[in-house]
Amino acid sequence: MPSALTFDRLIAELRRLALTFLMVAVTCAAIFLIIRDIGLTRGTVIFLIPVLVAAIRWGLVAALFASVLGMLASAFFFFPPLYTLRVRDPQEVINLLLYIVVAVVVSQLASRLKRELELARRREIDLRDLYVFSRRLAGAFDAADIHAAIEDHLANAMQRTVALFASAKEATNAGNGRPTAGKVPEQVLAEVVKVASGGTASTLGKTVNAGRGGVWLVRAVSPKSPEFGVIAIDLGGGSKETINDLRSRVDAILADATATLERLDIAHAIGEARMRAQTDQLREALIESVSHELRTPLASILGAASVLSAAPALAGEDKLKALIHDVRDEAERLNSDIQNLLDATRISSNGVTPHLEWAEPADIINSAIERCRRRLAKHSVAVDLAPDLPLVHADPVLIQQALVQIFDNAVKYSKPASPIQVTARARDGRLLVSVTDQGCGLTQPERERIWDRFVRGERHAAIAGSGLGLWIASAFVSANGGTLHAVSDGVGLGTTMTVELPATQNAVPQMESDEEDE
Amino acid sequence: MKKMSDHSPIVLVIDDEIQIRRFLRTGFELNGFAVHEAGTGAEAIRAATLRPIDLVIVDLGLPDMDGSEVVERIRSWSSVPIIVLSVRANEAQKVRLLELGADDYVVKPFGMAELLARVRVALRRQMRAASGEPVLKIGQLTIDLAARAVLLNGNRLTLTPKEYRLLQVLAQHAGNVVTHQHLLKEVWGSVHLHDTHYLRIFVRKLRQKIELQPDSPRILVTELGVGYRLAQSGNENDTAASTVPEGVGHPS
Repeated sequence: MPSALTFDRLIAELRRLALTFLMVAVTCAAIFLIIRDIGLTRGTVIFLIPVLVAAIRWGLVAALFASVLGMLASAFFFFPPLYTLRVRDPQEVINLLLYIVVAVVVSQLASRLKRELELARRREIDLRDLYVFSRRLAGAFDAADIHAAIEDHLANAMQRTVALFASAKEATNAGNGRPTAGKVPEQVLAEVVKVASGGTASTLGKTVNAGRGGVWLVRAVSPKSPEFGVIAIDLGGGSKETINDLRSRVDAILADATATLERLDIAHAIGEARMRAQTDQLREALIESVSHELRTPLASILGAASVLSAAPALAGEDKLKALIHDVRDEAERLNSDIQNLLDATRISSNGVTPHLEWAEPADIINSAIERCRRRLAKHSVAVDLAPDLPLVHADPVLIQQALVQIFDNAVKYSKPASPIQVTARARDGRLLVSVTDQGCGLTQPERERIWDRFVRGERHAAIAGSGLGLWIASAFVSANGGTLHAVSDGVGLGTTMTVELPATQNAVPQMESDEEDE
Repeated sequence: MKKMSDHSPIVLVIDDEIQIRRFLRTGFELNGFAVHEAGTGAEAIRAATLRPIDLVIVDLGLPDMDGSEVVERIRSWSSVPIIVLSVRANEAQKVRLLELGADDYVVKPFGMAELLARVRVALRRQMRAASGEPVLKIGQLTIDLAARAVLLNGNRLTLTPKEYRLLQVLAQHAGNVVTHQHLLKEVWGSVHLHDTHYLRIFVRKLRQKIELQPDSPRILVTELGVGYRLAQSGNENDTAASTVPEGVGHPS
């Protein structure tokens, strides 16, 4: 079925032939005038002018057409007997033959020149595109950028619809995030999946008939480096030759492109990026599953203990109740240890990304105290917040978790019933939240090592702990652009831990006034 | 505590862990609730369509579908209170669940008392919504939504229009968390969805007016990283109390 494209081409060709005809007719008229006015007898050679013009402008077919027209016109108009196609004089016959030979040779030479000119121009455009392409590659940030660059480069050079799929999975979802992927027909997608999963190793790819006269080429960008993905190109519906022509052009462009990619060692970079992404995914999955697998039984234990402790059957059974509270407390401790391990894993893999917002310092402090309510119950907690504290630009949940660790530490290392003081002040565009206990304090060496991972005070071997708490607190605070420091007057004199966070009152964006009308 | 045995509120517990279902059943039954159980999402949706249910407790990790899908599907035809259980304590996820129509969420592990407190709040809210009662009392604060009046210890407070609007939106969902996004959209319009500082500043002003101790608020409570909640009347610390809010239950 001839597609609209070939029909269009036919029309264009006919237009060129018509123009050629017109040109020959004009020439013919001119010669006629010359013969009449000047008395020139042999004008055949002048017909070489339209032949040359046609060859240069419209190629071989038009030039040959012009040659034949010129010959016929000469025979008809200028050689006796006039107005017939017969030619009497053998001399003229030779002239005509000579003309046609010259015309054909000139046609070919001129049209070849034209083709070469075109090729050179195309080559130049290709080179410029390639240059743009390599510039873009050099600035590419990740694999997706590189794939988009290859796709755009090819689409630009071919002036066709091009879709690049990084993997078989992308093709099955028919979505690589770029709009062209949606235009790829299903049969073509199926072939892409096959090629991407290593099915066909054909270097030159395979054409797929997509119905309605459309032919698509599917091939790996580079047979050597599967990282570059698989492309599908709409070749249109031309003849076998045009398709072969397009295919070899795709070949040439891809050869240049992959050479550039290899020079920049892009394959390696893509491979690494993908590996990193996979490792991250794996770690996330592991954290998720560990957290699920450990927390689910804990949820049953804690839940059951909580039901038992309030059960009417146990009313008055204080000893049994105490046991149940032990179950609850220990399960809770286990839960917070699991949380610490998960947090630590996340921190050491650079996984802490704060969700920054303008937050109310009082909210953060109150909710941290609320979270530690049971642990703090044996202490008298005094909270002193300065009036008009500035808002902080931080992740309130992370800061709350840091404060929980600090409270936890204060409770662990101070005597029951000793006071714990929480204060919040603003100073020089920063918010300072301090937690002061009357506990065992810090020695100089302790103060230096307190922020290290798994470090626990040697004096406190009897107190359970993992040595992760303060390390986590410090990491969470610094992820928010803040600092955490500890001050102690010495052994037995208590400790003050201070969280310092950036908070500039002026940095709070202006807001519209609360107009009284409604 | 057998009380209103034929009028007990019915809880549908959806969790694939049988141990969780068992303690929840015991805990709820000891507190005067009737319990239906479901181990999968499909089973849960069937149960929710076939039986009258007063409250749904759903775990996020179900074998056949995500708990959030159960929330979405039940919410598509019913306004029954839904409380989500999850081992993942991610704030973004909480916000998403609330926006899908969950009333509340509880992070596993949790104690029965905490869950019961949330359940009572949800049931009370449902009841209030059904009765159309326009007056809300929280401690010393009275909010009359019909008269657009806010009274503290009987004295009428002067609120700016935005302050009142903020309080009004919270009061309409009293007891439930209202997300930052929802509040910003309702009070300031969708252009200001990310201007959380508007909220902070207005909440601060509002607390100055309605809280006894604005520094440690009891009425307008913060849910860190998620939103705000207007506390419900009555004390939330009734851990051992085993009463069901009066009038809740199915006229079977």
